Amino acid sequence: MSDTTAAPRVAFISTLSPTAQTLTVASLSLAVLCLAILVFFTRRTSRSTGNLLLLVGPPDAGKTAILSTLAYNQTLPTHTSLQSNASAVAFSLTKKPSTVVDIPGHPRIRDQVNEYLADAKAIAFVVDASTVSRNGPVVAEHLHIILNALTSLPPSQALPALLILAHKSDLLKSGSAASATSESLAITRVKTILERELEKRRVSQSGGVGVEGLGEEGERTEMGGLECTGEKGMFSFDAWEGGEVTFLGTSVKVGRITTDEKAEADGLQALREWMEENA
Amino acid sequence: MLDHCSISHKGGIVLWSRSFTPDASHLAASSASPVNSLIREALIEGRTTEEKYEKDGYAVKWTFVNDLELIFVVAYQRILQLTYVDDLLGALKALFVKMFQPFLATFVASLHAINSGKTTVVEAASAFSFADAFDGWDKMFDKLLRSLEDKAAQDRKLRLRPVVRAPVEESSSPPSEELETLPTQSSDAPQDEQQIARNVQALKNRLRGRGGKRGGKGGGRADPGSGRESVPGSDSESAVAKRKVTAKAQRKWGDEAPTETDMASLDFSADSAGGTGASHDLQALVDEASLGTRTRDGMYEVKDWEFSKDEDSAIANALKPADAKTTPTLGALGSLFSRLTGSKVLTEQDLKPVLDGMKQHLMKKNVAMEIADKVCEGVGESLVGKKVGGFQTTNAAVRLALSTSLTRILTPKTSTDLLLSIRTKLSSPLASTQQRMPYSITFVGVNGVGKSTNLSKVCFWLIQNGLRVLIAACDTFRSGAVEQLRVHVRNLSMLGVNGATDSKGRVELFERGYGKDAAGIAREAIAFAKDNDFDVVLIDTAGRMQDNEPLMRALAKLVAVNTPDKIIFVGEALVGNEAVDQLTKFDRALRDFSSASGAGKGRGIDGMLVTKWDTVDDKVGAALSMTYVTGQPIIFVGCGQTYTDLRQLRVANVVQAILAD
Repeated sequence: MSDTTAAPRVAFISTLSPTAQTLTVASLSLAVLCLAILVFFTRRTSRSTGNLLLLVGPPDAGKTAILSTLAYNQTLPTHTSLQSNASAVAFSLTKKPSTVVDIPGHPRIRDQVNEYLADAKAIAFVVDASTVSRNGPVVAEHLHIILNALTSLPPSQALPALLILAHKSDLLKSGSAASATSESLAITRVKTILERELEKRRVSQSGGVGVEGLGEEGERTEMGGLECTGEKGMFSFDAWEGGEVTFLGTSVKVGRITTDEKAEADGLQALREWMEENA
Repeated sequence: MLDHCSISHKGGIVLWSRSFTPDASHLAASSASPVNSLIREALIEGRTTEEKYEKDGYAVKWTFVNDLELIFVVAYQRILQLTYVDDLLGALKALFVKMFQPFLATFVASLHAINSGKTTVVEAASAFSFADAFDGWDKMFDKLLRSLEDKAAQDRKLRLRPVVRAPVEESSSPPSEELETLPTQSSDAPQDEQQIARNVQALKNRLRGRGGKRGGKGGGRADPGSGRESVPGSDSESAVAKRKVTAKAQRKWGDEAPTETDMASLDFSADSAGGTGASHDLQALVDEASLGTRTRDGMYEVKDWEFSKDEDSAIANALKPADAKTTPTLGALGSLFSRLTGSKVLTEQDLKPVLDGMKQHLMKKNVAMEIADKVCEGVGESLVGKKVGGFQTTNAAVRLALSTSLTRILTPKTSTDLLLSIRTKLSSPLASTQQRMPYSITFVGVNGVGKSTNLSKVCFWLIQNGLRVLIAACDTFRSGAVEQLRVHVRNLSMLGVNGATDSKGRVELFERGYGKDAAGIAREAIAFAKDNDFDVVLIDTAGRMQDNEPLMRALAKLVAVNTPDKIIFVGEALVGNEAVDQLTKFDRALRDFSSASGAGKGRGIDGMLVTKWDTVDDKVGAALSMTYVTGQPIIFVGCGQTYTDLRQLRVANVVQAILAD
């Protein structure tokens, strides 16, 4: 009698326990799989970011045109951007493609740059070389914001390289000095004007008493980022404490389509080469 | 008719555009193109809900496709009353998206390389040959535009028809037996005849109306101007029209319902012909043939257009109002499932309750009603058609969009660094003969908002920065205004600066007593400051209501005469709906009157100073109302009684306060 009752019980347990076991194993493996996928994705995203090239600068400088030239190999007509664009661009055949982000330059939405700054590998500040002499103060204000953002990055993060593009260099008339190319002319002009305007901003801030910001006390309100080594602290890009600044002259022509393997005629060659070396 | 039409991505890449005149194409290539100014001055500033945007003689209309991030823009001369632009935009949108949906989707995806995670490099020329991609579009656009223009022309012609047709009908109408059935109202004999003729024509019209039914709509909207546009088929007719202006006024134009019989009563050339005698009847007879053919022409064109419409059903479909696009719904469970599995497309119905709630919330925070309305509408417009991912609720999506929108509105678009602009002006190179002009700032505003008090706070801050300040007492109206400023100057000169025990000589008052012309005093003050080497002149004006025109004119004169470097509007944070009215009227009055009296274009307000900030806690909506209305930055915020209670606005703080529950 007892045998007959015991046998079914054993059978019952033996049928039950494998199901419980498989359930546990299955749930465990599922959890591990989820974790693995999660880890994989976070690592992947963290790796894929960190190689951004940010295009910043005042409106109408030609940021979107540069982006379209890099991404589609053709310069499309553009107007003022309402939102940022991000495209993957391969600068060299050997390395992973980097992502070029074009951030609108309108003062009301240019703060979007802060979202991308943490993952930036390089920042290209695009200046319209043909109009910079007219709206120097506005350009300098924008550059000041970028410089300030760069210097106030946490020290743990690698500093993005700063690149200043003297864009639309083809629009400059290279006057009497025929020896100087329009690119180098554009670079000198942009550099001189920006240094002069930034020096003005530095002088006006040093020794001035700012107005406190509204809200929490002790928050940093005044903009820094213009500190320079050297005598008297005069601002110059060579002596800027935030790191090295590279100047490049570039240009694009709207409507031109680059046929592949003939990028020589492209006005962005300098930028491509720089990106190939540094990114 | 149109000047420019473009289809572009929100990121700034123009996909397709066409200019219809050389001028427009030249302008479109420059940075001052209508599209650029539209984006800069309307779309980025959150004025997306306005019907149209006007700039430099152009009227610009636009529409969005949010899921594909496209903007459709049409620009035309402002003086043209183009009725078909809205239809054109709607049709363009529908057609373009339908024709190029797959290409557009890949294009948009290629501009979001970060979000998608995968970094696939575009294989350039092959995948994105934009010229090839939009191959058939040019033809399609031409067809669409032509059909719309034809339709508009048709409408216009039909509006004219009653006037044009009249003599034909009248002259060709045989005496018929229907005459007896028609009521005759006029008593004298010649008038009677004309009346009969008119009624006959009314009947004819009724019969003919069946054929030209389409014209009924256009014809009903006959406005007084249509008489002027009429084809000068017979000069008698136009002469009659001129002579009979009074008769027109008596007959109620446009009051009539747009039925065929009423069209006849709109027609009064028969009546007028009666007034001028039989000779005109004769002339009308002579004109019969030509007018008749023209009428037939018109009818023919209607048919022609309808025929082409049948032919090209795609355009016709696009022209239909897009109301029948009801997507099959799976019910509550289905929507829940789709929410869980992937993304959900926001519709107007989803957004409406949330947006209404947000509007109420904004108004509770003291945002002017009109502004709250517009901001919420703009947010809604930017969200319709967007996909919200995974577990994000509609509420959260709206909240995020609203916060972005508020930040965008409040962020200044011009530099608010007053000190820098003062220093720049003072250090700018001058010709040796010229004397340096001081930097002048004018404070304007309504009564009792704290102009003088905050002027003294700004003065204190300038003195602390080592500048010499002259205060010009141009409030020559309110008793005690000058004395109040004198007390401030005395106090300020006793406060120490940079280690010095007092700041004697750093601040002075310039006053000429009461009842004088404020503009003159301001000019004298600036001249005095120039001679005595002051750096900054602060001009205090009398408070005035925005509706008081004489006082506003006086203020505009002060501005026009002295051309201050900055005009600061002082407004209190307590103001609610009134903020909109105050600012618009001050701004407009300054612009209008100062441009009228002085040469060049008018000056508006350059910035705002919001006072009594400490009295409103987190109900800081006035800041939003003010910046929305003018588009100018808030330079300072006054938040207390002492000289140091001057603050700079921090956008993030204000946005947080407005959104806080």
